Amino acid sequence: MNKIEAKNVDVYYGAKQALFDINMDIEANKVTALIGPSGCGKSTFLRCLNRMNDVIDICKVSGVVKINDYDINQKDTDVVRLREKVGMIFQKPNPFPKTIYENISYGPEIHGIAQSKSEMDNIVEESLRKAALWEEVKDRIHEPGTGLSGGQQQRLCIARTISIKPEVILMDEPCSALDPIATAQIEELIDELRKEHTIIIVTHSMSQAARVSQNTGFFHLGKLIEVGSTDKIFKNPTQQQTQDYITGRFG
Amino acid sequence: MNEKPHTVKSYEDQLKKLNNDLVEMGANCETALGNAMKAISTNDHNLADDVINSDMVIDNFESQIENEVVNLIALRQPMAVDLRETVAALKMSSDLERIGDLAKNIAKRTKLINTHLPNNLIEAMSRICILVQKQLKIVLDSYLSRSSDVAQTVWESDEQVDDLTNKCMEEVISLIKSNMENIEYGSHLLFVTKNLERIGDHTTNIAEQVFYLVTGDYLEGERPKGSDSELTK
Repeated sequence: MNKIEAKNVDVYYGAKQALFDINMDIEANKVTALIGPSGCGKSTFLRCLNRMNDVIDICKVSGVVKINDYDINQKDTDVVRLREKVGMIFQKPNPFPKTIYENISYGPEIHGIAQSKSEMDNIVEESLRKAALWEEVKDRIHEPGTGLSGGQQQRLCIARTISIKPEVILMDEPCSALDPIATAQIEELIDELRKEHTIIIVTHSMSQAARVSQNTGFFHLGKLIEVGSTDKIFKNPTQQQTQDYITGRFG
Repeated sequence: MNEKPHTVKSYEDQLKKLNNDLVEMGANCETALGNAMKAISTNDHNLADDVINSDMVIDNFESQIENEVVNLIALRQPMAVDLRETVAALKMSSDLERIGDLAKNIAKRTKLINTHLPNNLIEAMSRICILVQKQLKIVLDSYLSRSSDVAQTVWESDEQVDDLTNKCMEEVISLIKSNMENIEYGSHLLFVTKNLERIGDHTTNIAEQVFYLVTGDYLEGERPKGSDSELTK
């Protein structure tokens, strides 16, 4: 079943076109990896999925992006509600300069999800458990989140994102600042999270795309060259450009 | 797909070396098979010894290719066509090594038979051998030219080898029946015939690998077999 359907998506930064007629279906409860060289448009496309491009003045998006069959590019879309449903994890862990507890509780609080202190405690614990961080921080959840290691901070950000139960999680190179062990923990987590969420991950690491995703899309110069099962893309891609890129024959 | 060179030249060189080693290993197998057949046809023990001794070279190629493949997987993580090249090389080297062993076995039996064989048997075995040699050459050429179509023709023609094998075995059995004193060398000849048929099977395996390497697909369906004789099952 498709969670997201992008149709004829074009993106311009001023006069420069960044994405050309992107058509892509994203399956629910699967991990979809977006790969391609720098500047190919994969992060721009990712940001189309929760209208993060709105914050860039010169950026213009056209086309249709449907989530649960609803076109999020409609003028009356409530982008705050949208971003509640479509969470995002960035390249560099960005915890708030607050305690571990407050990092998690902030979202449920402003969205009015928890009605009582004990309910909030439960949300914090459940989110940290789902982000595989609870055991490591349960004795110091009132200490600053910024005191954690890089990998722990990224899992804290994931816990913060899932605390408001988004349906879709966008990840923009979530492991590029982490060591291999922290990367493996995040990758294991991604596999767990897809049971309840649909995940789209932008990564420069093709081996990471191969490890964590079920579907992969290859972008080049603003175009979606090929999309298909990760298995097929890495064993026998259809397009020559895809093959050249993943086998290191590019440029 | 026509492949451009890799950005990383040392990776390109490693894949080229794997390709070249496999081609050279294949050439050694062709020579071993030709010499083994010549040795048994002419009762030439020196040539048989050459075949026996040179099998070590083929075995060494297999170890070397296995080592190169493991290194490529561990250090380069090949993808797509490179992954198929690497996996196919491992499997093809294993088939070539078996071809070398079977040729060596024919050479060993040459020394045990130690007699000039009747012409009709030499001709019957030669017919299989010529066909198998031809198939081996074509399949190695298809590997070099990355031609899946040519590989498929080899795969489809294995039944001819089976038919010639059946005919040859019938002639050997007639020889044994005509005079039970022939049973010792007749038994060796049954093995030699079977060895040639097995070389044909390994050649067909290689054809499957070339097809997979080039297309990323597997040859579908049951491999074509010759007449349904118990002898070649």
